Amino acid sequence: MTDLDVHLAAIVAGDADAFGRWMAGSERVVRESLRSFAAVVDVEAVLQESLLRVWQVAPRFERDGRPNGLLRFAIRIARNLAVSEVRRTRSEPAPPEDLDETLVEHAREPDPLLRAAILECRDKLPPKPRQALDHRLADAGAHDDADLAEALGMRLNTFLQNFTRARQLLADCLKKRGIEVS
Amino acid sequence: MNEDELIEQVAGAYRPRDGYHKAWHDLDAEARRRAYEVALASRSLEAALDTEGLSTTARAVLARITNQTSR
Repeated sequence: MTDLDVHLAAIVAGDADAFGRWMAGSERVVRESLRSFAAVVDVEAVLQESLLRVWQVAPRFERDGRPNGLLRFAIRIARNLAVSEVRRTRSEPAPPEDLDETLVEHAREPDPLLRAAILECRDKLPPKPRQALDHRLADAGAHDDADLAEALGMRLNTFLQNFTRARQLLADCLKKRGIEVS
Repeated sequence: MNEDELIEQVAGAYRPRDGYHKAWHDLDAEARRRAYEVALASRSLEAALDTEGLSTTARAVLARITNQTSR
């Protein structure tokens, strides 16, 4: 387990790059903490809003002495926001609020060996899927897929099919190297 | 737009400023769970491809942070 609180002082000081390094290790854990809400809230929207709130309130966060305090705090923010969303949009009960504490132990920094394998697999992609993958990654969520497709001169469904194919080919290539993507 | 294409859209990091992706509303509960799992796997791949280990979600959040004038 990595203690991502090593980035806390810089985050509190307003260093957005440090917050990026913290997110690189924490995003997956926070997303996994929202799995039980996936059918009733848009997890991506809730996650992005939660991470933004973590950045905003980090200067007032107080450590309790345990590692990954900011990550635990982020999970609480995300799950509270998800519960609020369920209450706002639906009448059915929200999923249980108890959290698997072992999730926090899954905090990891990026793996350089995995990166090398994925880069090799990406270089083997056919041109159109590669183009769709690269364009969406470079855009980083700034525009919707209709805009991205238009910029590449593709129809929206063609763009999405190419992206799906790129993702599946990458997963197949990695699987051949003994790496499961999940 | 078929269900797989809707799922691919929802699994992406793009979100309008006012919240949910419009395609999310067109998915049933099982398809929304599939979109969640696709996003989970995709972000790992994206982060591994990024020089700083950031997924498109993290990049989108950082863009919102840097566009803010203050905390």
